[in-house]
Amino acid sequence: MTSTATQPQQSHDNITLSLGGMTCASCANRIERKLNKLDGVEATVNYALEQATVSYDGEATAVDDLIATVEKAGYTASAPRGPRQSIDDGLDVTGERGVTLKTRLVGSAVLTIPIVALSMVMPLQFAGWEWWALALATPVVFWGAFPFHRAALVNLRHGAATMDTLVSLGVTAAYLWSVAALIGIAGEGAHVYFEAAAGVTTLVLLGRYAEARAKKRAGAALRALLDLGARDVAVIRSGVELRIPIGELQVGDTFLARPGEKIATDGEIVDGSSSVDSSLLTGESMPAPVTAGDDVVGSTINLSGQLTVRATRVGADTQLAHIAKLVSDAQAGKAAIAGLADRVSGIFVPIVVLISLLTLAGWLVFGGTPSAAVSAAVSVLVIACPCALGLATPTALLVGTGRGAQLGIVVGGPQALESAGNIDTVVLDKTGTVTTGAMAVVDVVATNASTASDEVLRYAAAVESGSDHPIARSIIAAAHGLVVPVATAFTTYDGLGVTAVVDGQLVAAGRPAFLMQQGFTAGADANETRTTIAVGWDGEVRGFVALADPIKPSSAPAIAQLISQGMRPVLLSGDSAAAVDSIAAEVGIAARDVYSEVMPADKVDKVRELQNAGHRVAMVGDGLNDAAALATADLGIAMGSGADAAIKASDITLVRADLTQVGDAIALSRRTLATIKGNLFWAFAYNVAAIPLAASGLLNPMYAGAAMAFSSLFVVGNSLRLRRYTPPSFRPRERRGRSVATASGSVRGE
Amino acid sequence: MSTLSFTVSGMTCDHCVSSVREEVSEISGVTAVDVVLESGALTVSGDNVDPAAVLDAVDEAGYQAVVS
Ligand SMILES: [Cu+2]
Repeated sequence: MTSTATQPQQSHDNITLSLGGMTCASCANRIERKLNKLDGVEATVNYALEQATVSYDGEATAVDDLIATVEKAGYTASAPRGPRQSIDDGLDVTGERGVTLKTRLVGSAVLTIPIVALSMVMPLQFAGWEWWALALATPVVFWGAFPFHRAALVNLRHGAATMDTLVSLGVTAAYLWSVAALIGIAGEGAHVYFEAAAGVTTLVLLGRYAEARAKKRAGAALRALLDLGARDVAVIRSGVELRIPIGELQVGDTFLARPGEKIATDGEIVDGSSSVDSSLLTGESMPAPVTAGDDVVGSTINLSGQLTVRATRVGADTQLAHIAKLVSDAQAGKAAIAGLADRVSGIFVPIVVLISLLTLAGWLVFGGTPSAAVSAAVSVLVIACPCALGLATPTALLVGTGRGAQLGIVVGGPQALESAGNIDTVVLDKTGTVTTGAMAVVDVVATNASTASDEVLRYAAAVESGSDHPIARSIIAAAHGLVVPVATAFTTYDGLGVTAVVDGQLVAAGRPAFLMQQGFTAGADANETRTTIAVGWDGEVRGFVALADPIKPSSAPAIAQLISQGMRPVLLSGDSAAAVDSIAAEVGIAARDVYSEVMPADKVDKVRELQNAGHRVAMVGDGLNDAAALATADLGIAMGSGADAAIKASDITLVRADLTQVGDAIALSRRTLATIKGNLFWAFAYNVAAIPLAASGLLNPMYAGAAMAFSSLFVVGNSLRLRRYTPPSFRPRERRGRSVATASGSVRGE
Repeated sequence: MSTLSFTVSGMTCDHCVSSVREEVSEISGVTAVDVVLESGALTVSGDNVDPAAVLDAVDEAGYQAVVS
């Protein structure tokens, strides 16, 4: 059909197929296996993006064969329209081909509102209003609820009953019964339930829409991750420098990384030395010195010198791609949990249907008229129809998330609330969450009796003024207000230090070992727990400037609050043990709950380790290096100031980068979840209590209508109570000094 | 005619169930396959069915099975 097979390389073609019909991560595995069985085909299926990336031999295999294989496995596949499809095209989650979920939702809602108004508000009713309700409800029941009817039929073929079955059955029964009542064949005084049929359809569509949007966000997280990679690269082939798209780079190619540029892919340095900022990927707050023979990671930033790098891994093998896959896998795993609600209805639906059938049989056996028998049997189905059940979750969610937004807590969806309900361990990534994530001068020490500490800082700032290194900027910022002498003849030693001539003498600043190497005599030992810059002139080390990533003032009270809420805080960081331990001690985290020098992929393992030990884990982070761990944790909480990818991989986002909000977010989620559970209990209780009444034919339709309205009103009222919810850190008796007061102050300012 | 019982792990949706059912029913001698999503129970009926072939078929479908 579409001739997309002419790519630069002749025998090796690549294509991205859009997939449909997958409902769990195992489906993705199944498609992947089937495709890989074809000769010369290498396929990777991404569940979250709903696409398959396939590499195949264009001579031997046609795109149509690939599509046929996917269809044979029970799913749909389509080839991109253009020769190359961008990742964005795969992100449009519409749910339905042709008619989007949103169209169905809006259409149904517009028709449902007048039906509900007519049915619930007596003064609005006029002679023959039921016929108007019928006219409005008919498209909602057939067109709006079509996805549920179709899913119910598919399930029926497999002998399964899901939430779709319940919705389809309830909506259909309520509608048919109402029609029968309207045309007078349902017996004397039969009530119409058009508002139930239309209302349930619209509410369930609303739920599905929210779910589809959440899934779309999951795909966006991956896109944000992959966007971080370099787009093109300066490769050296036959001694000539060429600029090529990153996709054409191959293992063994030699490429250049200029200062300030992203390193294109994972590789080994062949020539040059520099320092590399890999904080985005590894979480290390310190730039690391690198030189020939060292390995570098793609997407990290080359800070100072030009590097020549030989590519060792490209494409899907790189560390960035590896993180993206971890995120994707974790999200796919989570999506599978959503099937739990379906399993509950898998039991509830058959029981209701059984009771309905028993009612019909019972009435006929014990001499009831067929009309009375059908009336009672349909009453059972109608009364079991999830009207208040349908309101229970969305209303609480709406009010709870609205209250959260007021407090600066953005809750992703029902899944987040459910997870937050039973969290017992909170894993905190150090950099950017407990600490500010930016280096600052914390101490200046003079080691020579004749030197003042101010002088050490002045000289340090003078020689660092020639450097654009983050440490240099911190030192210059700290010297603000001091008279900084003019320096000349700057020399930068990548990753080691700088020298310059100040007031006619050679001044050096950098690693203590670098100063020794430059021939300066040693000073007193530096404090090992901090990043220390030695400063020397006149052939002698004169002092040290200590830098650290400062702890946020609100961190200690926030951690105390978490402990008082019954949670165990755990500190995780890519930084050295010494740096992490001292911070843990300062904020009140037990030494046994501290893990340092943890690489990004190991963060995921740590979270899994805690989960396997039976803990329900929340992960708090802000960087790209946390994205996979955020997605893996039962509850991922991203700090608002963090990387886009981290925010998208999380369940809850905190607008203010303040740890105090973690406890508040969990408390609010718990309260919202409790409200949902309360709503569900009462909604169920009304339904279940009414079933025997309906079965015995005792349920006067008027009372049934009233009971339904009452249970719905109760659920809405219960949910509205969340609007007045006050999280722990806002309660006066729990105020712990300045930081808490600042927290409430800044909310008022928003 | 005999009946074999297995426990399958890793199935999370109806598609998983039909994948397992499909693969197992292709084994020679198999006359009936029953898969339950909730419990992971797999029951295979037929003449001279090799249990190892069933384990392989489940593995082929992408899941893990043990004899129960
Ligand atoms: Cu499946």
